[in-house]
Order: sequence, then structure tokens, then C-alpha cells
Amino acid sequence: MWIAGVGMTRFGRRDLSLPDLIAEAGLAALRDAGVERPDALVVAAMNPEEFTGAGNYGSLINTHLGLAQVPAVRVETATSSGVAAVYAGFADIAAGLHRTVLVVGGEKMTHVPTPRVSEIIGRSIDPHERTYGTTMPALAGLITRAAMHSRGLTLREMAQVAVKNHANGARNPLAHFREPVTLEAVLESRLVADPLRLYHCCPISDGAAALVLTAEPAPIRIAGIGQGTDTMAVRYRRDLTSFRATQAAAQAAYAMAGFGPERVEVAEIHDAFSPFELISLEDTGLMPPGKAGRATLDGETALDGRLPVNTSGGLKARGHPLAATGIAQIVELCLQLRGLAEGRQVSARVALAHSIGGLATNNWVTLVEARA
Amino acid sequence: MIVQAIEASRCPRCGRMVVPGARYCPDHPVAMEPATVAGVGEIVSFTTLHSPPEGFKAPLHIALIELEGGARLFCHGQETRGIKIGSNVGVESLDGVFYFSHMSFADRARLFWRRAGARGEKVVSISKSLAKGLFRGRSRGDS
Repeated sequence: MWIAGVGMTRFGRRDLSLPDLIAEAGLAALRDAGVERPDALVVAAMNPEEFTGAGNYGSLINTHLGLAQVPAVRVETATSSGVAAVYAGFADIAAGLHRTVLVVGGEKMTHVPTPRVSEIIGRSIDPHERTYGTTMPALAGLITRAAMHSRGLTLREMAQVAVKNHANGARNPLAHFREPVTLEAVLESRLVADPLRLYHCCPISDGAAALVLTAEPAPIRIAGIGQGTDTMAVRYRRDLTSFRATQAAAQAAYAMAGFGPERVEVAEIHDAFSPFELISLEDTGLMPPGKAGRATLDGETALDGRLPVNTSGGLKARGHPLAATGIAQIVELCLQLRGLAEGRQVSARVALAHSIGGLATNNWVTLVEARA
Repeated sequence: MIVQAIEASRCPRCGRMVVPGARYCPDHPVAMEPATVAGVGEIVSFTTLHSPPEGFKAPLHIALIELEGGARLFCHGQETRGIKIGSNVGVESLDGVFYFSHMSFADRARLFWRRAGARGEKVVSISKSLAKGLFRGRSRGDS
């Protein structure tokens, strides 16, 4: 399975409509691949009905792109919808149904007031838990406090994740935030869900990203892709401080690839909340248990570190237009492996993308490799 | 007043308890059986939301409690001062919403005897009669 082309819009506050954003990314990916007409289209959008008032998104997008006769489906697994779409495209080609599939995901949210955005995203939380006022930040706050208690995670380590990702975002022309932040600014930003502060949390962004998957050999290979799930209800879980869904996804991806975390040289990790980057580095096996915080403070995950993480700026600085995010992570890794990540280029042949759906109910790990 | 019997469900296959009651076990596609658990447990974690969703007042204190009966549940709280992960708390119910609270002396005594009870039949009978005596004595004193 190969990635023949990538495309992505600038993330942030955008005036374009969601179909226009998706078209911009999708057509860029087709151009990059040298493909005019894919055999099939997979569209990811998490809450387009609520955010934009339009539905039937497979048909809306294929018509908008001038591909009305190309079979299209829409795929959704909450905030990891983008990778779920990649998986659907992968399975489509692996089954021999099609040779070339355009996978595109996007979200348009910034025109909606923030409390309403929180409420809409919050619908991916267990309905009973929502009756207690739990939002994504609330559940992340609970998890963060538990991780500080049982894993010794510190506020400084978590803040350094945001500092590093902002520094990377400053070098990415498509990132939502392009200004560096200081450790002090993170630690002094306002409390959102104690102990989480504003600068530990990713922004609300508009944007879209796309890949062209193909059965024909291309510069980048998808070596492995794995899904892992856990209970929708956080109260049903025994362990709050690591995500079973990530561990299962990583295991499946490594098994498909036939190699383990030791070969990974660059990674994009789902840092919707800064502590999640540290938890996820350990859940994917990229860092030994209990070491991710220290390694981050020591600069091991910085651009010039042993294992650069979130060279794009991550969700924190690149931005998080929900269904675009998982695809944007893979776009960034393809640019890195192809030597096209101008201003933030690292040296790598094998890369890992990690995406969290909901409160870690439906997670994905994808491994991509440059063609030898 | 601590809730003595919170409605729960138990999986007949794996014994897992969940609150509130659920139709199917999250780990097995089998129907769960009705059960109850006492409203005593310890804090798994907690947070304070400073911009809670519509319908809630800031600051909103939310805690996840591990009940002694095995299930976990979400609660609201009046405050988080003096609360730590692992703190023993009681669960009270107000208009169908659960609240965690520091345990009173009487609550702690009841909890002590409940725990003692788990150690053996003999202790159970002694603690029961003692607790009953205490309870009767208390209600007489109140009237």
C-alpha cells in the first residue's frame, strides 16, 4: 500500500466553507500524485451536520470536487475520523476493489461560539458522564491529575510539550499558531480543568488534509495500520493513566509492519492535551514507561533530538480541525520522509502517527516508511 | 446522608459491577443483573472546571470515585479542599445527582464495621449487633 500524494490547507481560522477546504486539500493531493480521477473517495468529517448544517457528506464532497461519478463514503470515529478514513481506503485497495483512493478529511468550527463547539465535541463522551458536566478538558484534567499522582508526571514536563510544539509550529507555514511560547507563559495561563491550563490544550481550528492511496509503488509505503478501542465510559476503565486503545492500536500496527518502535525515527502524536503526548509516547512503546517527561525536558523529542515528535507543531500549534487531524499527521510524516519539510526537516526513513478518537475510545497507530 | 444502596448492574459472567445500571456488560454481550452498592469509596481523581458547559455553575468540582463494591461513578462536590487521590469519601444523592463528601464520624464507624465484617462470619455477627446497638442508642438519643 502506497501514498502517492499529499495535500493540506493552512489550519486556523478560515473563511472558506468546509467543502471548499476539503476541495483545496483533496485537489492538492491529486495534483501531487499526478492523478486526475481516483477510483473511489473516502471522506472524514466528525460533526459536519452540527457545525455546518449539511449532511450526506460523501455525496456532497464528490459532487463538489467534480467527481460525482466516483463512489464515495463518509467515515467517522470521533476525533480520529481522519485515520479511520485512511484505514477504509487501505482496506478498499487491499481487498482489490479499487486501485487508487482519495482520502480526505476536514472540519469547519471557528464560526461557531466556543461553548457550543465544546458541547458538540462533548457528544463523543458517554451520555451518563456528560450529565455531570464532563467535557473533554474535564476528563483530561482527571486523567492528568491521576497521571501526576501515579506516574510522577510534572507540570513542567507537560508545559515543555506545549513549548516544543509551538516552537515547531512556528516553522510550519500551514500551522494555526506560528508564535513560540515560553514555559512560564504555559504555567501561568489560566486554569481550564485543574491541573490543566489553557496552553496545555489544543485550539479550535478549521482545515482539511488529504492523501492519495494507491496499489502502485510510490515514494512512501504504509507499513502498518492498527486500531484499538476502549470503553466509551471512562468510569468503566481500570487504568486512567494509560490508554488501552493506543496500546492495542500500536500492537496491531507493529504486527502488520513486522518491526517495532525501535525503528521509528520521527512521530506525530495526538497532543490534544499536552500530557497526552507523554502518555502516548509510552503507550506506543516509543519511550520506556515513566521516561517520556524527562526525555521531553532533556530535548530528546525536539527537532534536533533523538526522536523528533510533532515536527508539524502537533495538535497544539498546527491546530486540530477534528477529522483533518489524523490525515494531517500522515501528511507531515510524508513530507519529512520525502525531504520536503522545509524549515523543520529531520532525517528519517520510518515514522509513526498516533491519533486519539473521543476520550481514547477509538485510537489508531500508522507506520509509514520511505521507499528504499 | 450517605446512600446505602446505589442501583447498579452486575455481569453474571465476569462479576463486573457498573453504576448506573446498564443492560449489557461492556466486556461481554450478556444481559447484566440488577445489584446495589453502598455509597462509600475512595477518590480515583478529581478536577475543577472553570468554564463548565451550559447548565452548570463555575467552579464545577467533578470527581471519579471507586466504590468499595467495585464500580466507579462520577460525582459532583461542594469543594475539593482537603481532598486527595485515595481520600475516603461518602456518596450522597440530591435530586438524583451524586455528590461526594468527607465522611462523618458515624459514617467512618459504619465503614470500619463493614470492613471488619469482610474478615469473617464471627466478626460480622459481633459488628452487626454492636452497630445495631449503637444505632438504637443513637435514635433513642435523637428523639
